[in-house]
Amino acid sequence: MTVLKLEEYENDFWKDVDNRKTWDQIIPGELRDTKPVTLTAEVIAQFARLIGDDNPLYHDEAFARTTPYGGIIAPPSIHIVLMFACTGIEDWMRSPGTINCGQSWSYNIPARPGDTLTMRGTALDKFIKKDRLFAIHENAFTNQLDQVICTGRGWTIRPV
Amino acid sequence: MTYNPKAAFNAIEAGFEITGRAFTVSRETIADFALGSLDFNPLHFDDNYMDGDFGKTQFDGVIMHGMQNFAVITRTLTDWLLERGGYHRRLETRWLTPVYLGDTITPKATVQRKLETDGSRWVVFDIEVVNQKGVMVARGDAMAEFADVFPGAPA
Repeated sequence: MTVLKLEEYENDFWKDVDNRKTWDQIIPGELRDTKPVTLTAEVIAQFARLIGDDNPLYHDEAFARTTPYGGIIAPPSIHIVLMFACTGIEDWMRSPGTINCGQSWSYNIPARPGDTLTMRGTALDKFIKKDRLFAIHENAFTNQLDQVICTGRGWTIRPV
Repeated sequence: MTYNPKAAFNAIEAGFEITGRAFTVSRETIADFALGSLDFNPLHFDDNYMDGDFGKTQFDGVIMHGMQNFAVITRTLTDWLLERGGYHRRLETRWLTPVYLGDTITPKATVQRKLETDGSRWVVFDIEVVNQKGVMVARGDAMAEFADVFPGAPA
């Protein structure tokens, strides 16, 4: 079990850059290598603060208990960090120059402190449009009870 | 907090606008978002790298993480939905133009329509994020549910 600690991740995306799949090497449908991570109340509060979300639902248990959620939850956008947290340094979403064009996400139930989240990720499609190399990636996150937390996809332009 | 999703849903009117708080981008907010998201792409840090050639795409400097748009929209929706017992079910946005250092972005959600299905109640929102010049930087839509049983509530 890996407890998510943001400071322990590599922050140099140039490191091991040659080991990442290029657009040519991405195979739609092929699973990306992932590993589960466990959320703590501390990392949920830290994530919310760093992305600029100060709703007490994410850091104040006494307040969160008064809401329909019944306790602290992770922001729905927790998938933003989970994609990098659950993949390794060789994952192609870390390629410098990857340009995010848009994303769509569906939220099923919230992630909570103590949840261990597993990512299933693939490239769904790749194509060329206006001379740009595009990939569509698709991710699903489930908790330790195999309940779906969220599913989504993103459109990126791949570096040449 | 009283949970009455039916009454809350009935009180919502199409065309209602929810304007979120403005967000100004700085190197500090980008550094925070990078640590929060673990997205350390040099697009967001490296001035020399951004002078380079990105093929058909060119930039005028380091850019805000696109997903920061997602974060400000989610904040806006959740803050509004929480007191009404609504659940943020979906968000889809496209980034239309890059957001640069010093830019101030403001998210807005507009109730597009309400719909009741066999099992639940739904509100669809049009989503826009505009910068200080009034230029739309992100556009999309979102969906919230006002269910009798709150999704994922503890038993």
